[in-house]
Amino acid sequence: MNLVSVSNSVINILPFRYLLFDEAIKISDIAVRVLAGTKNTLFIFFTTLILSLPLGLVIAFLRMSKIKIVSFITKSIISILRGTPLMLQLIVWFYMPYYVFGIKLSVNWRIISIIIGFSINYAAYFAEIYRAGITNIPIGQTEAATILGYSKSQSFFKIILPQMIKRVIPPVTNEIITLIKDTSLAFVLTYTEVFTLAKQVAASKTTIIPLFVAGVFYYIFNGIVAITMDKIEKSFKYFD
Amino acid sequence: MYIFEINNCKKQFNGNIILNDVSLKVKESEVVSIIGSSGSGKTTLLRCATLLETMDSGNLKYLGETVATTQNNKIKYADKKTIKKIKNYYGLVFQNFNLFPHWTVYKNIIDPVLSIQKRDKNIVDGEVDLLLKKIGLYDKKNNYPYELSGGQKQRVAIARALAMKPKILFFDEPTSALDPELTVEVLKIIKDLAKIKMTMVIVTHEMNFAKDVSDRIIFVDKGYIVEEGIAKDIIDNPREERTKQFLSKLSK
Repeated sequence: MNLVSVSNSVINILPFRYLLFDEAIKISDIAVRVLAGTKNTLFIFFTTLILSLPLGLVIAFLRMSKIKIVSFITKSIISILRGTPLMLQLIVWFYMPYYVFGIKLSVNWRIISIIIGFSINYAAYFAEIYRAGITNIPIGQTEAATILGYSKSQSFFKIILPQMIKRVIPPVTNEIITLIKDTSLAFVLTYTEVFTLAKQVAASKTTIIPLFVAGVFYYIFNGIVAITMDKIEKSFKYFD
Repeated sequence: MYIFEINNCKKQFNGNIILNDVSLKVKESEVVSIIGSSGSGKTTLLRCATLLETMDSGNLKYLGETVATTQNNKIKYADKKTIKKIKNYYGLVFQNFNLFPHWTVYKNIIDPVLSIQKRDKNIVDGEVDLLLKKIGLYDKKNNYPYELSGGQKQRVAIARALAMKPKILFFDEPTSALDPELTVEVLKIIKDLAKIKMTMVIVTHEMNFAKDVSDRIIFVDKGYIVEEGIAKDIIDNPREERTKQFLSKLSK
């Protein structure tokens, strides 16, 4: 046997010969179909962030309210939001108008209820992170601001908020990374984001490849977000 | 007319009486030191004076303008607008500086003036530079607080208070958080202020400094003013037994 015939026979018994040619076309075809959900996944992700990051601050304020009943109600709501599965919450938001109020569901309600479900749930988590961040700032900061004559809102936005943001970046980053993966929960309402499509294609083609494609997608998405958050964290290194 | 006047100030926390009928009047250009052991109520007195705490009862005036009055055992504080105006009359220097860590030295000093008093930036800029030179930290103008030593931080805190042009400046143990060697530089600034006739009320544990810098010393114990008088007299020849005990404990 010469070298050429050896290498030929090796290629013939290896599965990747087959994979290299026919499957490659198949995979790219599958990838195209799965990644068609990218736009929707990104939509859930960014809309949820834009709404929940500030909403969390409002909830944090209500939670810290001096009016006991306000802080108690807020605390209870946060507890429910954090204590029940997000998937369940999404289903409840979706069906609530019909089952509770008898309203016929409109075409857009699917995505609206998904955004409401995600934003409120994440706002609850952010609220607790913000609250911890605010209570961690020495009381002397507020006192110094009061003595100098800053109004309450000036004192919050100029002095407390920047210090709070620095403190909450690491825990907020954790939540944002979880959110990327959680966007896949929208599959319960068959919203055509990446995971929903991956599941559908996997079922119809009886192959696991779509799930791998989705996995790689989420992993890369996470990587980009992690790098971005790292940069933001570094940009707050200028003070201690 | 007194710059600052507090009368019959009473304050308790959870049933513990901290201040029991304390009164203090400060004239223009006067330097008053408040001494006493920890827990005697001297810091609480300063906090009531600067509105960080509300009194349970008592009267409070700045430049003859009423901040709080008590009638039939009910205390009434002035409205927001009056209080906002009166806050311009005084400044407070804290034991632990409380500089804003996310701002440079320059911004720490200038921002309150610009955003609260809304004075012209060009003029204030010059004033801030002058203040920085006075406290010897002009070269630290663009540094952040974490880059400064404790003594430097406290000097910046003093400059920040002075930039607001207060009529009276309160100090709450300004050197207690500092190493002895750094204490000197802060005390020197306060002495310089006394020389230019700044009205000041200083809570301190530095007896020699108190004797040096103040016109009058007040000894507070268990929520009462036990003794007050000319600085030298109180430190060198205290009349009251409790004052004697306190001072002899310190000199040991």
